[in-house]
Amino acid sequence: MSDYTLNYEAAKDEKLPSVSLNLNESTATAIYSDTDLQAELIEAILREGKMSVFDRKEGLYDRLTVADNAKFFHKWFGCSFPFAEILVMFGLQTCADKPLSKCTPSELARVYYAKYFMMDHYPVVFHEPIHGVDLHTTNTFMNMLQKLKENKTPVLILVSNLEHALLLSDLTYKLKENGLQEIEVAQEELSERTSEAEQISTTSLTTSKLYKVPAKVEDKIILFDPTEIDYIESQDGKAQIVVNYESFALDSTLTEIEKKIEPYGFYRCHRSYIVNLQKVREIITWSKNTYSLRINNKPKSTIPLSRTKIQHIQDTFNLK
Amino acid sequence: MNTQRIGAIFEKDLKEFRKNMMLLMMPVIPIFLAIMYSRMGEGELPVFLLYLIVGATYSAVTTSGMMTMMAEENEKKTLRGLIQSPASLADILIGKSLVVGLFTFISLVISLAILGNDEFLAFQPIVGLILLFLFFLLLGIGIGLFTKSVANTSAYIMPVMFLFGFTPMIEFLNLGEDSIFIKIADYFPIMQLIDMHETNSWTAIGIVTIWVIAAAIFTFICLKKVSTDN
Repeated sequence: MSDYTLNYEAAKDEKLPSVSLNLNESTATAIYSDTDLQAELIEAILREGKMSVFDRKEGLYDRLTVADNAKFFHKWFGCSFPFAEILVMFGLQTCADKPLSKCTPSELARVYYAKYFMMDHYPVVFHEPIHGVDLHTTNTFMNMLQKLKENKTPVLILVSNLEHALLLSDLTYKLKENGLQEIEVAQEELSERTSEAEQISTTSLTTSKLYKVPAKVEDKIILFDPTEIDYIESQDGKAQIVVNYESFALDSTLTEIEKKIEPYGFYRCHRSYIVNLQKVREIITWSKNTYSLRINNKPKSTIPLSRTKIQHIQDTFNLK
Repeated sequence: MNTQRIGAIFEKDLKEFRKNMMLLMMPVIPIFLAIMYSRMGEGELPVFLLYLIVGATYSAVTTSGMMTMMAEENEKKTLRGLIQSPASLADILIGKSLVVGLFTFISLVISLAILGNDEFLAFQPIVGLILLFLFFLLLGIGIGLFTKSVANTSAYIMPVMFLFGFTPMIEFLNLGEDSIFIKIADYFPIMQLIDMHETNSWTAIGIVTIWVIAAAIFTFICLKKVSTDN
């Protein structure tokens, strides 16, 4: 089977721009956008009728147990994998005899994943697949993506959360009203730029003793103490400070701010992220050498950690 | 038709039926009625009472059961992704019909056994009962395709129950022999079967067959409409 092409012309009265995207069979592609554009894109996909969108919104059989549900789908879709293997693959063996009405949202999500996997569609589109699920379930989902790649099924993931997009996909696009943009995660370029940034930061260390990060909100300028910042992310080339549930736009780019803020215990852990190392609570190791950092803030944000940066993080925290 | 899929839906619905109180209570109604009637009358029960039990079984278990199951699937949108072609919808309907048929059979046999009547153990009444079952089943499928929620089913089941299930009750309305309602009601399937029971006429079976064909056409139209809507 070959690659799959997604192609939508912009309609007159809609916000959705023309979208043309090639879905490669051995990479997971993610489109990151706000919820309005996402809804329109889903509508366009459904209107075409060739693909169905897996959004975990349809019902399952609440009265039946996890195993009964899985068994039914297994039989209905004529799945070629052995039933026991499916249960283990989606971590359902421990809750197999629980009725769905008593399951946690994460367990339910895994039942949905199992269903979608057994449906064996080509290609598959997931809508917010790991929204509101626990780490174990996220890992299950990533393992499933791996299986789908091995089966040469193109995967498209629609999310409104950049962290999820970067974690799940190999190729991330941002959908905006003026079109689709690729978010590059080229590793070589990144390391080059940071080493350059490191040099500059050492020289500016002395002058930045009383440094506050200024963010502009309408006509006010808010000065943030570096210690209260959870992390800084890049949005359309501009840096954004994230404090708990709120984010504030900065006027500078991530590289500019990185230089100034590094002495306060910040670290560029990803091309699009600078993290406050004081606030890192967990280092999560996903399967297939991908990493995330969990921040000790109210929403318990997880932000991506580049493969090339793990060494530095381990050195910083004296981990081995 | 795909036997594996029919098997899957049959197995699933059998499990669900056993865990759904609303569905599980339905087969109990005719059994309960049968116990009441058997204690009420002395000696032989009138034929119309026997057919009242049959009508109650078919409307409460067959039609209502089918409608409730379909309504639940529609309400919770559980069929999304499962139906990819009209063939798979047919598989679902057949699987569910088998479950409903099984429970109807159990409920009917127990009720009739309680009444202790073996007049049904003849060829003609059995043909009549099978035709009547098909009529109620097709009615249940047709309406069930359009019921969007479980709450709706109780509204839709009422006309079916009173018109077709409890037709013999019309005699209690004291409308008089010549009333137009009685004359029309005499052509309803259960009344025809009572007539057949007394006179052994095959024309009654013929009329019931026409009812079954009418119900089949109704179901077919509903199916067509549902599959073009999607």
